[in-house]
Amino acid sequence: MSEEKNIDTSVEICGVKFRNPIITASGTFGFGKEYAEFYDINKLGGICTKGVTKERREGNPSPRIAETPMGMLNSVGLQNPGVDGFIREDVPFLEKLDCVVIANVAGRTEEDYCYAVEKISACKCVKMVELNISCPNVKAGGMAFGVLPESVEKITRAVKKHCAKPLMVKLSPNVANIADNARAAENGGADCLSLINTVGGMAINWRTRKPVLANVCGGLSGPAIKPIALKMVYETHKAVKIPIVGMGGITTADDIMEFMVAGAAAVQIGSANIFDPCAGINLVNELTNLMKRCNINNVRELTGTLSV
Amino acid sequence: MKDIEFTVESNIFLTKSVLELKLVASEQLPEIRCGQFLHLKVGGEFLLRRPFCIYKFDSHSVTLIVAVVGGGTRRIAEFKAGDKVKAVLPIGNGFTLGNEHRKILLLGGGVGCAPLVTVPLTYPDREYISYIGFANSEAVMFEKDFGAFGKTVLCTDDGSAGRKGYVTDVLREDVEKIKPDVILTCGNTPMLKAAARLSAETKIPAYMSGETRMGCGVGACLVCACAVKQKNGEIVNKRACVDGPVFSLEEIIL
Repeated sequence: MSEEKNIDTSVEICGVKFRNPIITASGTFGFGKEYAEFYDINKLGGICTKGVTKERREGNPSPRIAETPMGMLNSVGLQNPGVDGFIREDVPFLEKLDCVVIANVAGRTEEDYCYAVEKISACKCVKMVELNISCPNVKAGGMAFGVLPESVEKITRAVKKHCAKPLMVKLSPNVANIADNARAAENGGADCLSLINTVGGMAINWRTRKPVLANVCGGLSGPAIKPIALKMVYETHKAVKIPIVGMGGITTADDIMEFMVAGAAAVQIGSANIFDPCAGINLVNELTNLMKRCNINNVRELTGTLSV
Repeated sequence: MKDIEFTVESNIFLTKSVLELKLVASEQLPEIRCGQFLHLKVGGEFLLRRPFCIYKFDSHSVTLIVAVVGGGTRRIAEFKAGDKVKAVLPIGNGFTLGNEHRKILLLGGGVGCAPLVTVPLTYPDREYISYIGFANSEAVMFEKDFGAFGKTVLCTDDGSAGRKGYVTDVLREDVEKIKPDVILTCGNTPMLKAAARLSAETKIPAYMSGETRMGCGVGACLVCACAVKQKNGEIVNKRACVDGPVFSLEEIIL
């Protein structure tokens, strides 16, 4: 509930209550610590951690970033401290937070995913697990699980058995039909979905005949992908009954409204955190102001109200 | 670290492709240490900020040195006095001197000289000797800055000003005589590699400030990873933005 009178920004997804629909996206917010220096991150609806894998990973070689028109490419490649490092170094900080903590989990094999999800979902501070089967920047695992509907369903079903908290499956846009993959995750037992992860992309320096990213290709994010994301949230909303968390290029409160109207129950803010460290808190304030200006008392009423 | 609004006070070309940009803040700045940097919002079509070392600072202003190399920096070149811009600062570990470091050798290459100018501001009680190198006489900058706090040796690759040759080669000839306690350096990668060799051969500890592409600039996105060799021989990725930008030349893998 916002402090503003008569403005209710709260949302509920799979029984988990969020102060507002604004969640910071995995990979753009670390484990929260860094941004806590800029603002009170408890004012956010939630934070989604960097993808955590069974073992510690060093990620891809540098350069890992390239600027592209109205967007950016990254190829970080799931650099993370591993499950044990996460529990040792990051959980103590996350335990003190009052916003919803969603742990993003990735893996190389089905066993890796199940192992990591079981350990991480047992952490008291983790209120939800986001299954990362859509990272375009790792060779094995990651997106390999997220492309074919059959494999989406299989990994979801396997992980679900080990997940002590609601399971959110993060879908890749680099697929033939997003609705098929969304249904597959739902059939596999996903409690909710998040979409979209980054769109596969590339930047080239023609003078040197070299790709800009050391990993050659990467994932495109930022305002450039917003129309793609909106279409996929819209199509997914028609295809499944479980809640959707929408993301892809959100930088303004109007963007949040668009995703909610398209069918999202909440949103994630990704690249905007990278462009501006205060993006999260600014959007929380902008959303309340926009609701006031537009006489919207309850943000939940917007979800799926698109009239075609 | 704080995201602060600045007003552009001046923006002038020092050479054909290097700007000196002075920004004045509406509030008192957090304490800045030598070798720290800021992350400047470029605006327009450029969504990613750009990291720049701080060349001069006081309680309310910072001056940056900007090499104009691409679209983002070309836009920065268009900043006019009175424009409002935002920047996160201060970022990074900066240069740290131990008490045993009394005689400091500053080794700068081109625009990489800029962060070294701030070292005597943080550590005024040390002896400084500076070796600064540029491509040619037209590219020479900062000679007065370094001259103000100690002996300065200017070098150019083509010999059109000062001593001829790469600054690291010129320093190699003199270093045994100077016997500095520590070398602080900043410049392009070939220069840093040469400095690393010199440091390894002479056993003079050396610290460098590197340049890398950055994302968030606050330590969260892991885009600016640089490989660092730990004491146990293990190679790990550190964040240039908040774990660096200053690393020991012994540990950084260039």
